[in-house]
Amino acid sequence: MIQRYFNWLRPTTWWSAARRFTATPLRFGAVAIAVCLSIVLSAVMALSQSRPVQISVLVQALETAQWQSVIESFEAENPDIDLNMVEGPNATNLVEDLYTSSFLLGDSPYDLVYMDIVWVPKFAAAGWLMGLSDRLSDAELAEFLDGDINGGRYEGELYRVPVRSDGGMLYYRTDLLEQIGAAPPDTVDEMMQISQSLQSSDAAQWGYLWQGRQYEGLSAMFVEMLEGFGGFWVDPDTREVGLDQPEAIAAVQALLSTIETDVSPNGVTNYQEEEARRLFQSGGSVFMRNWPYAWALVNGDDSPIAGKVGIKPMVHQAGQDSGACQGGWGFGISKSTPHPDEAWRVVEYFSSAPAQKQFILENAYVPSRRALFNDPDIVAEFSHYPDLLDVIESAVLRPPIAQYAQASDILQRFLSAAFTGQMSPERAMQAAARETRRLLQS
Amino acid sequence: MASKIRTQEQATGWLLLLPAVLLLLLVFAYPIGRAFWLSLFTENLGTNLQPVFSGVSNYGRMAVDSRFWQSIWNTSLFTALALTLELVIGMAIALLLNQSFKGRGIVRTVAILPWALPTALIALTWAWIFNDQFGVWNDILLRLGIIQNPVNWLGEPTLALLATVAADVWKTTPFVSILLLAGLQAISEDLYEAHAIDGASPWQSFRRITLPLLLPQILIAMLFRFAQSFGIFDLVQVMTGGGPAGSTEMVSLYIYATVMRYLDFGYGAALVVVTFVILIIAVAIAALVINRLQKNSA
Repeated sequence: MIQRYFNWLRPTTWWSAARRFTATPLRFGAVAIAVCLSIVLSAVMALSQSRPVQISVLVQALETAQWQSVIESFEAENPDIDLNMVEGPNATNLVEDLYTSSFLLGDSPYDLVYMDIVWVPKFAAAGWLMGLSDRLSDAELAEFLDGDINGGRYEGELYRVPVRSDGGMLYYRTDLLEQIGAAPPDTVDEMMQISQSLQSSDAAQWGYLWQGRQYEGLSAMFVEMLEGFGGFWVDPDTREVGLDQPEAIAAVQALLSTIETDVSPNGVTNYQEEEARRLFQSGGSVFMRNWPYAWALVNGDDSPIAGKVGIKPMVHQAGQDSGACQGGWGFGISKSTPHPDEAWRVVEYFSSAPAQKQFILENAYVPSRRALFNDPDIVAEFSHYPDLLDVIESAVLRPPIAQYAQASDILQRFLSAAFTGQMSPERAMQAAARETRRLLQS
Repeated sequence: MASKIRTQEQATGWLLLLPAVLLLLLVFAYPIGRAFWLSLFTENLGTNLQPVFSGVSNYGRMAVDSRFWQSIWNTSLFTALALTLELVIGMAIALLLNQSFKGRGIVRTVAILPWALPTALIALTWAWIFNDQFGVWNDILLRLGIIQNPVNWLGEPTLALLATVAADVWKTTPFVSILLLAGLQAISEDLYEAHAIDGASPWQSFRRITLPLLLPQILIAMLFRFAQSFGIFDLVQVMTGGGPAGSTEMVSLYIYATVMRYLDFGYGAALVVVTFVILIIAVAIAALVINRLQKNSA
């Protein structure tokens, strides 16, 4: 009996009722028109209030939090785009691996790629990125730092628009230098002399702290020394390798002698940025090579050396110029995205001067636009940014070749061998040059 | 009549085996065959990630690749050191746990703990223990007066390799000792009693009874450990990343870099094939030895 109450749930009941109702032609016509109308109406309504396009990008978790306020202002101005910044690991090599596997598997879920400058040649050569040259005029490009733009190019085409820059530089202790009346050093020899005289009077325990572990930071640091000694790594045009030239060997020798003369602790062979920064910040050291991020930390409230630190472009050999390793991050557009125009609007917004300014004032990163270094609001907050422009403008690129990751690993391995006394600088650099040449031929 | 039933039964037998055989082909034979096939091609950024047939050129390249040979050497050294230490310490722990004493159950459980913890976490902990400035190991040695200045454990090629071995031994010795303990418990007490009555010392009993009867377990434990430690990745990746000077770069780290970072798929496949062949040969030798020993004892 109860089943009868539930009969209406069965489709057959509905169907027979509908058949009975539409049995006459007139009724049938009315129902048909009503059905058609409702379909058209709902389609029109769906189109008029179309859902926002979702644009996804994978970013280190730490930075997604820092970008939050920029994302909010972007979405407020662009209600038709839903920017989805996916939190990735904080280690950048892991983010690179995640992008790599998503592209290798095809149909990447990311419309944008938040890229370190050294990924550009590889990602571009693999055909995963969309060319962006047509979207920016020369005048617009000229507002960015040259190094940041050139680092975003591969074989002439632009693949990445920079949103923040980076470059290595020399940090020095103003108070210790004043003690002996020394000016900030320009050359490696001057730096060694100042270090040794402060170390011999026990005013400082260590002279110079740098990054000597076998990792990407070692290549970045060495690029600066190479430039400062007038050498080169790989010429991107001729593909010539310069690692076994006398200038390169002299650069290795100079770094090795900082360890041999105890100007640097022998632990530098295992240091990354943070190990060097912590030791520098604890007092006791005169010089440090590091990136701009360290400035805020060594001048922090809990730092014993706050207010006693100066920065300047990297030291070099007499008669040469100083070099800073060009770093930095920017956006590229994934070739497989179904929404390239919406993705471009994100890139345009995030690299714009107002967005960068907002981001920098909140997070103390380095802008990729020249004008922002002297922006009154930014200078009021960070008085050293005009000095920073000098550093960043002397920035040199790591070789923009597709096999960069391999070339860098070769260099790191043999530099590490030289610094830990496994090989002499000559032998290490000859082996590095030999393997790099073999790599570029293959 | 009987033979007809027999063929039918055989056919049914094969039919029942089919799913298992298909599964094996799918998960073992196909990937290995595919890796071998891929190793005959050049597929990297130089070819725009398109496969180009290149015969055995990848293998030729491997012959002159000093980094590959160094990684094979590192892996062999790591495996040999770790296996020896694990066997000796694992045996000592197993003998100890085989004795009956108060609270043995708890001690056995605690002893297996390091093996149950996630390797990446362990590796991070050991990296801090061996840190030159903040590490607890240097602190202990300094306090005991064994060293005068902090030692740069992870920054010196030889020391770094030893440090990774130490971490691996700490982590996997429990596995060896549990396997050996199982073997020990299968040896009858009567044998030792009879041997003792004949006037044998404990050391003689160990050599004449325990070792020969435990040999199968020892070999099986070593086989497992060999296969695992030859493919070691997470521990080393987290502790040293392969440095300094490539002194702790294991084969698996090199393969990972070749495929994931260099996007050199053909060469990466060739590396996989050669490592696979080396492993197969080693395992085959071990299996042969085990087989012979079992025949001898039977």
